[in-house]
Amino acid sequence: MSALSPHLLAEIKELPARYPQPRSAVMPALDLAQEELGYLNPEAMSEVAAALELDPGYVEGVATFYTLFHLAPTGKHHFYVCTNLSCTLRGADEIVEHLKKAIAVTGPDAVSAEGLFSYEEVECLGACEFAPMMRLDRRYHYDLTAEKIDDLIADRKGHLPARRGGRRAAPGGETQDPSVAVEAPHPRPPVRKSALRAPGERVAREGRDVPRKKKGA
Amino acid sequence: MPELRGSFGDAPNHLLTRWFGTPDLHRLGVYESKAGGYSALRKALLEMAPADITSEVKTSGLRGRGGAGFATGTKWSFINRDAPGPKYVVINADESEPGTSKDRYILENSPHLLVEGILIAAYAVGANQAWVYIRGEYDEPYRMLSEAIEEARAKGYLGPKPMGKDYPLDIRLYRGHGAYICGEETALLESLEGKRAQPRSRPPFPAVKGAWGRPTLLNNVETLATVPWIINNGGAAYAKFGTDKSPGTRLLSVSGNVRKPGVYEVELGQSFRHVIMELAGGVTEGRSLKVFWPGGSSAPVLPASMLDTKTDMEALAAARSMGGSGGVIVMDDSHCIVRAAHRLLKFYAHESCGKCTPCRVGGDWAVRTYDRILANEGSQTELDTLQRVSDGLQNGRCLCGLGDSAGWVIDSTLRHFREEYEDHALRHECNVGGPPAASGRHLPRDRDEAASA
Repeated sequence: MSALSPHLLAEIKELPARYPQPRSAVMPALDLAQEELGYLNPEAMSEVAAALELDPGYVEGVATFYTLFHLAPTGKHHFYVCTNLSCTLRGADEIVEHLKKAIAVTGPDAVSAEGLFSYEEVECLGACEFAPMMRLDRRYHYDLTAEKIDDLIADRKGHLPARRGGRRAAPGGETQDPSVAVEAPHPRPPVRKSALRAPGERVAREGRDVPRKKKGA
Repeated sequence: MPELRGSFGDAPNHLLTRWFGTPDLHRLGVYESKAGGYSALRKALLEMAPADITSEVKTSGLRGRGGAGFATGTKWSFINRDAPGPKYVVINADESEPGTSKDRYILENSPHLLVEGILIAAYAVGANQAWVYIRGEYDEPYRMLSEAIEEARAKGYLGPKPMGKDYPLDIRLYRGHGAYICGEETALLESLEGKRAQPRSRPPFPAVKGAWGRPTLLNNVETLATVPWIINNGGAAYAKFGTDKSPGTRLLSVSGNVRKPGVYEVELGQSFRHVIMELAGGVTEGRSLKVFWPGGSSAPVLPASMLDTKTDMEALAAARSMGGSGGVIVMDDSHCIVRAAHRLLKFYAHESCGKCTPCRVGGDWAVRTYDRILANEGSQTELDTLQRVSDGLQNGRCLCGLGDSAGWVIDSTLRHFREEYEDHALRHECNVGGPPAASGRHLPRDRDEAASA
């Protein structure tokens, strides 16, 4: 069984003709695949590659370079919280700590119960006059406080049915036991523990510990 | 539409933001009737020769607002208008320099201003097709710009015969997917071509061999949004604003510990005291200014004692910093400079594309050194290492400026705050406020304290 639906693959095959050179279609195609599947797994990347007549390794190389492509399942509502300087100066770290507790996840690779929520810390989102801020469900949310985070979560919990069609919480997510928090399957090596870091400091998602961009690969 | 934080309305120096805040300015009808929109495009297409348009932009002295500050008219003249085959205009809307939100401000408030500027530029350099590379997180700006383009198309302002002129013009959008490096022009071109965004070596320059191997003009959003005013009012009128070498106005996004963060249109040559203390309302109550980044996180920091530095590029160069992207990040005295630098180095290390060794290795090396210092494991060795890594990152050793920027963060914070570094590295203490907190600040802030407690 293929990872992507036949009509989506047909749509992807139409993309290259829209650009001066067909290769430019790779990111829009990956976008469509991610929209349907919720994230990009190796099968999806291979199918995109086949549809675009590109090498699977090439497509994976592109997908792993850009942070908006998810290589593991995310929650249905994924919080992109800015923790760059302008937001940190106005309390972004407290927002992240509160959010983690509020959606009951251990870190940025985890998905909350029922596959509903996940988060990641991201670099500057270009709305610094509204710091601290984040992106959620394709919208920016400004002047964040713990209360605002709680309200956004409560609102989404109240709307459990799918917000958009076609998006699943996890591979085969429809059969998952909703009472169990879903730890995202990890296609990447575990985060290297560094003795150089201060105790209690968050280590994930920084620097080259997570091979999001496969350097020299 | 979100609340406007920044400049809008009538003021002598509001060339870009004059009509911002007008209800429904993003609608073509309002843009035309209230803001005199598309009069510059009409003038350019129907009354001016392409060379005259470029010449008018040269006269204005406008310099690129993306970061490098290159003369816009000169850049336009690098494109051989008569060369056969397709040529492109590519707009850099991948705004991602930390502390910079001005392009989003333009896109959300007046997308037609950009559309008009793009069409004028394309006609001037002999391109028929423009591509806007817009960052993937900009959902709302993407939607607004798409709608503006469709409105302009429906009105016949772009298409096979814009305004009746037999010169096809088209604009298309391409979404980025989260990579700071795409703000660098050749990396952006690689990304537009469907590749990993890694900068190219130059020459050949994009003007000769750019997008898909064709001559390409690359400009920033704000740069092109300024063009309609110049065409309407003349380059000489624009040059009356600002300083001789940095004419005009620019948008400064002021963020961090100020009372009124916002995107302010400022005549170049105004002081940062005016920008931070007056426009942005000064620093958080009860605090004092410690340091500011005058042009995005890549611009070397200036301490509070240099608040009277002017905003023009020459004054900033004399202060050993730069105008950069116009992102002014303000930090008050409750924050630790070593932790701030650590945060930024993690950003540069994360965003290094990995192509050039000094940047790929140097960023991580710096982060690990900061890790040691902040874990109270530092010594003189760590301070020396930081300086050495900083030197290795700088001085144009790489294909693009990302590594240099990382080096400047280390170098400038060390230069201005040596004592604070020594407190951490040699004496294992932080004398900013209270005991170091993992969050990178040391004292309770004034706002949202209850919320985060």
